[in-house]
Amino acid sequence: MNIRRIVPASIAGMLVGAAALALIGGAHAADSAAQRAVEAAKKYSGKTITIVWEAGLQSLDPLNFSGPMWEKLTGIKVKVIEVPTEEMFTKIMQEHRAGTGAYDALNVIPAWMPDLALAGALEPLDAYVDKFGYREELKEIAPTYRDNQMTFNGKIYGFPDDGDVFVMYYRKDIFGDPKTQADFKAKFKYDLAPPKTWKQFDEIGQFLTDRMSKDGVYGAAFFRQAPYAMFMFEERFRNEGGKFFDAAAMKATVNSDVGVRVFNEMRNENKFMPPGVETFGFVENLAAFAKGSTAMTISWPPYGRWTAGYGTDEKALQWVPKTQIAGKVGYALPPGGHPELAAGFDLSVASTSKNKEAAYLFIQWLNSREISTQRVQLPYTLRDPFRVNHYTDKVYLSRWPDAKDYLATLKAASESGLLDLSLLQTDKYEDALRKGITRLWAGEDAKKILDDVAKQWDDTTKAVGVEKQKAAYANWASKSGAYPK
Amino acid sequence: MNPPDPAALRRRKANFAERHFDRLLVAPAITVLLLIGVFPLVYLLMVSFQQITMSEENRAFAGLLNYSRLFTDTRFWESVLHTLFIGAIALPLELLLGLAMAQLLLDKLPGRQVFVALLVLPTVISPIVSGATWALLFDNRFGPINQMIGWVVGHPVTILWTVKPDLVYPAILLCEVWQWTPFMFLLLLAALSNVDKSQLEAAAIDGAGFWRTFFRIVLPAIRPVLAIAILIRALDLFRVFDIIWALTKGGPGTMTETVSVFNYTQGFQQFETSYTAAASLVIVIILSVVIMVALRRMRIDR
Repeated sequence: MNIRRIVPASIAGMLVGAAALALIGGAHAADSAAQRAVEAAKKYSGKTITIVWEAGLQSLDPLNFSGPMWEKLTGIKVKVIEVPTEEMFTKIMQEHRAGTGAYDALNVIPAWMPDLALAGALEPLDAYVDKFGYREELKEIAPTYRDNQMTFNGKIYGFPDDGDVFVMYYRKDIFGDPKTQADFKAKFKYDLAPPKTWKQFDEIGQFLTDRMSKDGVYGAAFFRQAPYAMFMFEERFRNEGGKFFDAAAMKATVNSDVGVRVFNEMRNENKFMPPGVETFGFVENLAAFAKGSTAMTISWPPYGRWTAGYGTDEKALQWVPKTQIAGKVGYALPPGGHPELAAGFDLSVASTSKNKEAAYLFIQWLNSREISTQRVQLPYTLRDPFRVNHYTDKVYLSRWPDAKDYLATLKAASESGLLDLSLLQTDKYEDALRKGITRLWAGEDAKKILDDVAKQWDDTTKAVGVEKQKAAYANWASKSGAYPK
Repeated sequence: MNPPDPAALRRRKANFAERHFDRLLVAPAITVLLLIGVFPLVYLLMVSFQQITMSEENRAFAGLLNYSRLFTDTRFWESVLHTLFIGAIALPLELLLGLAMAQLLLDKLPGRQVFVALLVLPTVISPIVSGATWALLFDNRFGPINQMIGWVVGHPVTILWTVKPDLVYPAILLCEVWQWTPFMFLLLLAALSNVDKSQLEAAAIDGAGFWRTFFRIVLPAIRPVLAIAILIRALDLFRVFDIIWALTKGGPGTMTETVSVFNYTQGFQQFETSYTAAASLVIVIILSVVIMVALRRMRIDR
């Protein structure tokens, strides 16, 4: 399959198809959520709506694809404000506090939803959902995202729009090598396969490093920069049986034996990873894996697409390290079987917007079955499958030879995935954890670090109000993806 | 009662204008300064006695709550110490290096102007860009610094400049000194160029050596400029943010968190608005006292 030819042709096909669909919808009764949004939005023709979007590749969706298409269909211009992820919450809150109405629609990380909703920054969407007949299509969003990332206190504040989840990627050629398999089995008495537990991961990682590091190949690498490693800790801690809080007393239990063990194991694993792995972020880790320098890694779904070579000829993806392992990548759930639904994005409407309805209609259209199915296949935008039909879409299944395995793994990951911790003032809890992780790489004692983190969490809980936070935690913990079932 | 004499009134007005002419001239500027300087300060003071957080805009008077919390917040005081530590190392280094460079380029050397222009370049770069550039230079995988060290020692090295506790401060200081030494250099070059040549010649005729001339003639002559340069850089160093944010974000943990980083994190990431206002006000007070004392000590307040 020649991906160089297929990708541009596919994108052109998507644009033509979407325009045709919209035209049909315009000519006949609006019988899908996308068409209804387009029809209703035409009365706002000539207006401009402003949307906050993560800077970088994510923004190419509204800049190159959905924005121009929406303008063509409705006459509404879309202005994209690109904001780095770490500043998105700040910018949204600052604008809300200032009340300028500068933003109409927002991309919101689901873990922020309680804080933003309580601050009054997000517009409740239920009335719009009913008015523009979107409730049925909302039901088709994959259950994990739909049930856990859409509402706060019973109201819809955002449409889950990005199926972020961690997946383990491994080298099928290395794992399938008969000699390596035989030697591994002789040493550990079980078959060499993607690890199901972290103990297996450690054994396989060390074994492969011992065997291949002289050739520049290491058993594994992960991103270790604190913002990413925080998600990995949250995932692993819960897979190993850890609980963030004692629900009755609302006391932090992140410094339990499980937490300390996970911290120590994370640090020990760096020894069989490439030198300097402590500084690896998204790109460094991708570069190492795509170059063939590591046999296993865990990351978000784009790794799977890019290491298969899907769309990497796009101009926007020229910075992506060219894959040298296309066709050799296998997909699996990370050890423990419950991957982190790390970050993700909801589409929301800003409560201070002066164009709320137009903004709502845009996000309904973006999020709709028809349009989202095309958006999640754009190779350059980092939007990952999040609707049930995305995982079985025939076009997507044919994108590269192993796409069916990839989509099946994403579906399984979404079904067993774990939510990011989301409380009141979540960032304070996350900040303490992030800082703890930087101390871990600096070499401090794991128990001492986690005791400090727990103390900071307890201080924050006291500042927020123990009963208030207890209720928020109980609400979060009752969700299907809070802890492994 | 006699009606007021219009001529006398005009005279009185003219006299008032004459007497207060200087004040009338500066009044608009003073008003603008008050609006942009004093109003935010008063507002800051007001907010610091309230309880505005991310989720609540509680504007009721909260007394000294934020201040009492601040005085027991070890993280805040550690950030003050980190700031002072960076200042205590960077300022003398920048001063001495800047002075040495200025002394070196004082003579008319071939290509002197090109050298001066090149040396000043770091100062015109935005600190956040400079920090990001140094972060790349220090990068273990792609950065040239580790690569060059590797060439010297004969094998690849893994030095995690922004991760390991014993390396983060040297990395920050290197970046800071690289960027701001040229500022000192430029000011001191101007000051050294203006030292009275006849005095230098007289000292030379009298047989005074370099150090004697420097301490007895040059240093007293450049003292006012030196004092201003130190004051400007000290204040700059107290609000150091960009370089640290780009290199370590205050880490590992809060090991390199300065006052500005602390305030940014509290104010704009965690929206502890009133608490941050209290922290900022305490810093303003401390700095004001330090500046007043410094100006008196340096005798440049007049």
